[in-house]
Amino acid sequence: MKFNKLMIGLLSCALTLPAFADDKPEEVTIGYLNLVNAQLVTKSLGLVQKEMPGVKINYIKVGGGGDMLRAIAGKQVDFGGLGNPPTAIGVTRGLPIQGIMVLNMLDYVEAMAVRPSAGIKNFRDLKGKKIAAPFGSTTHYLLLNALNDEGIDPASMDIIDLRPNDIALAWSRGDIDAAWFWEPALGKVLKGGDAHLFTTSGIYASRGYPTWDVGVVMDSFAEKYPDYVKKFIKAECEGIDFWLNNPAETAKIIAEELELTLEDATRMMKGTEMVPCSKQLTQQYMGDGGAESGFVKTLMSTGNFLYEQKRLPKAAEVDLFTDFMRTDYLEEVVK
Amino acid sequence: MKSLKIYLKDDKNKKLVISSLSVLTMFLAWVFVTETGLANPLFLPGPKAIWLSFLECLHEGYQGSTLVEHVATSLYRILAAFLLACLVGVPLGIFMGISKTINAMFNPFIEFYRPLPPLGLYTLLVMWLGIGEASKLALLFLAGLPGIIIATIQAVRDINPTLVLATRSLGAKKMDLIREVYLPGAGPTILTGMRISLGFVYTVLVAAEIVAASAGIGWMIWDAAKFLLSDVVIMGLIVLGLTGIALDFTMRLIGYLIMPWTRAAGLNSKV
Repeated sequence: MKFNKLMIGLLSCALTLPAFADDKPEEVTIGYLNLVNAQLVTKSLGLVQKEMPGVKINYIKVGGGGDMLRAIAGKQVDFGGLGNPPTAIGVTRGLPIQGIMVLNMLDYVEAMAVRPSAGIKNFRDLKGKKIAAPFGSTTHYLLLNALNDEGIDPASMDIIDLRPNDIALAWSRGDIDAAWFWEPALGKVLKGGDAHLFTTSGIYASRGYPTWDVGVVMDSFAEKYPDYVKKFIKAECEGIDFWLNNPAETAKIIAEELELTLEDATRMMKGTEMVPCSKQLTQQYMGDGGAESGFVKTLMSTGNFLYEQKRLPKAAEVDLFTDFMRTDYLEEVVK
Repeated sequence: MKSLKIYLKDDKNKKLVISSLSVLTMFLAWVFVTETGLANPLFLPGPKAIWLSFLECLHEGYQGSTLVEHVATSLYRILAAFLLACLVGVPLGIFMGISKTINAMFNPFIEFYRPLPPLGLYTLLVMWLGIGEASKLALLFLAGLPGIIIATIQAVRDINPTLVLATRSLGAKKMDLIREVYLPGAGPTILTGMRISLGFVYTVLVAAEIVAASAGIGWMIWDAAKFLLSDVVIMGLIVLGLTGIALDFTMRLIGYLIMPWTRAAGLNSKV
């Protein structure tokens, strides 16, 4: 009897699944980076859930780009967010992902802090010092580019791989002299007193090294549920609009999500530039997704840089990046 | 054919043949799935890619250090921590085995921290000892210690009490007992404990090198994974495994040399 019931259950599952599979996912898993951007607003206000009634929404907090790559490679997320270096790595290595929207542009929410007692006045003074950055992230990329521009050999100093939270810990113990990392850990270090701001990612953006985070979706998900990709973008766009129109409310949400004071949250918000979805398709950002669009250009220079650093086995290929940048979903959302 | 049968009759030869065959099968399966495109090369590169990355790391290095330097850095960490664990663990184990009082004093701590996950412990060690070598060595040391202590306690307790009584009746003091009876009698079991312990030290190597390292085979594996360089990851794991086997063999060799009374069992046997 039991066996029969089981068989009927299995059969009905097998019969009904294909019928529904194409129009509605059972659950959607969103990996979001542990940083300050409008995804926290979208998450807190439940905007994705509102767009996808009846679908179970899971949020997973991911520490940095390297971890997000692993999560994507392991197919643990449907949607994710990636900085330009991990994007260049993932796309060149053939991860099945598509870039669908601009999550944020990085300004002084990422910065390099130095210890005043270490006597660091310029990049040359870093020689022989201990500097931390999360390897493979936007800040690691900027640090190496900055050194490169100044003509300084990175081997002349001790650059170590630490995650932002570990940097804050190592800083309070006095183990490191400088670090390029991001909020909220950055704020903790700067507030501790024994640190001052040396340079920011925003300054390097104006010198031709823009860094940003792009929203990505897994190929397989986008193929099965193209409508849900649009729903996701729509929800995130709403979150961005909310951020731009209600800064005070947003600060409260950020403070709550990241367990910060309101003052800190407000400061960090100003360090991140949110791009309204209606502007994301201009050439400065995603543009037409072609070789001349801002994002593809950044990916090309990032990819080539990582190749020189032997972090990538082959040089960047523009076709891979133009294929990766999918503007069609966003076009339909903002239309 | 007949000579093969005779060859296989010897248990030792039979074991060798079966082991070789199973490794070969595994290798062929690897070649098959990668050559036919069944496996995504991003996750499982073929043997050739692994070999090429091995050559490159050997000659040009990975991120500033050659493969030999990475291995040397890790071996230094492993051996320093393991030696320290032996220097503390063996005497402590002997005393804990002989004296119930000493056992009762130390046992709660060992039993408490032994099952803790190394990464959880590591966070605390980094807070206390910083991001340098000290915290890495401490983590490896703590991973190796319990195995040695527990094996030593057991080894000491297994010694035939008649031997102890006999030696005592001949006028031996406690230190003589330890030197002449406990250490030689417990030696083989202690060595087994040390070998198991070395395995534990190995398993936490990658964890120990995750935070703020810039060299070491564990760090290399971790770093390469971040950049999806799976050929380097797999190559690193193979190198790690082979050095582990080599170290274990060295330990058995040392045991064979310094404990001649165990030689009857032969070098190949599990002590």
